[in-house]
Amino acid sequence: MLCFVALAVLAFLSLFSAKYRPLAARAFDCVAKKATLRPCDTGLDDEIRAASIAGIMKLHAPSAAFVNRHFEAFSIAMTIIFFASLFFAAQGVYNFALYGNCNGPEGGFCIYNGLQNKAFLKAPGSLDGITCGNASASVVVIEFGCYSCPYTKAAEAQVRNLHAKYGDRVYFVFKPFPIPSHPYSMEAALAASCANEQGKYWEYRTALFENQKGVEERGDLAIFEIARNLNMSTGFDACYAGKKFEAFIQQTQREGQDCGIYGTPTFFVNGKPFVGVNAGNETEAEIERLLGSA
Amino acid sequence: MGLDAEKISKDFPVLRSQKTVYFDSACTTLKPRAVIEAERQYYEEYTSCAGRSAHHLAKKTSEMFEGARERIARFVNATSGSVIFTKNTTEALNLVIRSFEYSKRKKIVSTVLEHHSALLPIMEQQRRGAAKMELLPTNKDGTFNESSMSSTIDKSTALVVVHHTTNTTGMRAPLEKIVKIAHDNGAAVLVDGAQGVPHSRVDFRKLGADFLAFSGHKMCGPTGIGCLIGKEDALEKLDTFIVGGETIETVKLDAVTWKKAPKKFEAGIQNYAGAIGLDAACDYLGKIGMQNVEEHEKRMAKKLMDAITSIPGSTIYGASSPEKRCALVSFNLKGVPAHQVALMADSLSGIALRSGVFCAEPAAESMGFGKGAVRASLYLYNTEKEVETFRETLEKIAKLV
Repeated sequence: MLCFVALAVLAFLSLFSAKYRPLAARAFDCVAKKATLRPCDTGLDDEIRAASIAGIMKLHAPSAAFVNRHFEAFSIAMTIIFFASLFFAAQGVYNFALYGNCNGPEGGFCIYNGLQNKAFLKAPGSLDGITCGNASASVVVIEFGCYSCPYTKAAEAQVRNLHAKYGDRVYFVFKPFPIPSHPYSMEAALAASCANEQGKYWEYRTALFENQKGVEERGDLAIFEIARNLNMSTGFDACYAGKKFEAFIQQTQREGQDCGIYGTPTFFVNGKPFVGVNAGNETEAEIERLLGSA
Repeated sequence: MGLDAEKISKDFPVLRSQKTVYFDSACTTLKPRAVIEAERQYYEEYTSCAGRSAHHLAKKTSEMFEGARERIARFVNATSGSVIFTKNTTEALNLVIRSFEYSKRKKIVSTVLEHHSALLPIMEQQRRGAAKMELLPTNKDGTFNESSMSSTIDKSTALVVVHHTTNTTGMRAPLEKIVKIAHDNGAAVLVDGAQGVPHSRVDFRKLGADFLAFSGHKMCGPTGIGCLIGKEDALEKLDTFIVGGETIETVKLDAVTWKKAPKKFEAGIQNYAGAIGLDAACDYLGKIGMQNVEEHEKRMAKKLMDAITSIPGSTIYGASSPEKRCALVSFNLKGVPAHQVALMADSLSGIALRSGVFCAEPAAESMGFGKGAVRASLYLYNTEKEVETFRETLEKIAKLV
């Protein structure tokens, strides 16, 4: 039964590499025989079975015996799962091509967003966010970031360098863009905004990145612990518990989605996008270019 | 003093470069460095044709090629004039069966235990109406029914084609008796020595057979080279087989004078590198001593059979006594198809085994494994430790059902 899956996979791989073509031909032969109710005698199904059982046996011998005894049932289940996955993936591609999102017009998280080219990113229309620097500066740097994202954390040192280096010559705007797949990313964004209200945003932000793993594992406990360590007033607790800045964060999230953000951090320097952990360096070069030509 | 398999295994680059337990030597053996080096030298240092050109490279090739013939002849105690180079045992068997004279006697006697390389040429002669095939009775365990041999091999028999050692069970045929009955009846004997010459001391003169065929690649030599050893008078009686350059004394458009054997049967440019490599293989085995190889295989056959019989649900084909075998055992495990056993042994422990009917479908049918079996065939480089790994792996596979 697995030769059906093998044919689909090997046929796809054969498009890119000739070494898979003889295997694909064997899989095709096997499928053709199965489809006409003849036994598959190419040996490919035996090879797949032996390799699978041997692989499982190396991990857990009793499981290998169980899989071996019910191998045909497993094969059928795997084949159904494979083709169902293939169907949903194809549906996602269709929606992505038609609506720009694999879930169709409803939107939501879409894995194919990573396929988007940054040329399709649109600069945000507003400067709403957590800011520093000179609001009337000729260069505006907007960062979409997630406090729970390791890439945003990795780019943080360069962001701070930019703040220190350019000071009032640049206006910096941070737009929280919590990524749902990172645990407690929304909570961290809410807490950071509450810290901003208390006038301790940058300290809290630094602590959030430093304790990223702690926040991911312990959630609220870590968030309050950081606040206590920074001697935050009781207003912080009320702000956080009441989700005071939820609407603000949802707005920056929507804004990010409208801009086509597919990864954090994403920087816009006077509207020009730079994506990823190394974008800080490109951002600096662009700032230099703009300030030099000003 | 027996051989040291552990030490010998270090001569084989394949075993040094990867973690492999090579139990498929009946298919082809691994090659020692000395054989690879001999072939390399021919290709890198003196590539040329033997027996044609007169330049220094050609002289060197002629010397090495004819020297190889002499030394290979010595290896099986034959004369150099009786050694014909072929590409393998299959070609040597075809040569004799196709070129033999069947005008006065038409019967070819063989056994169901033969490899397809022996059976198919006989069946082809029968299909063409040139000869008629009759089989010596054998038992289900691969032994011969010796009492009825005399009634099958009679005065109408032209040729008896029989194995020295089978590739399905590693058991030997009672050649002494077969040769005597055949010769008493005026029939010639062709011995398929593909699995015999590599694993035991085969003395062509003592054997008494008229023809002996074997392959280089099954005895540490290169692929693409084999030999037909024939008594010189028996070779002269054979008709031509493949003809061409170097097989003739003179050619006129209305008459051809053929050379005497072996040249009569060696048409065209020969596999010089192969022959030189086989010479190196004979030298390598000769230094170790075929008696030592044979004794080592007897020990390993016992270990192998003990290992397989210790697995519940295992069936060994052929005689139950290891004394009657070289280190080759075909078997099945209850509930696990042969191909799966071989594939899993490879995946789990890097053990190279053969599965199927081993190019001997009628033999497999007659011994009860028509749907295939697993074959473990060992050689001088295999160790007892490897047999233990094999046993442990079989134990794991047997637990799958």
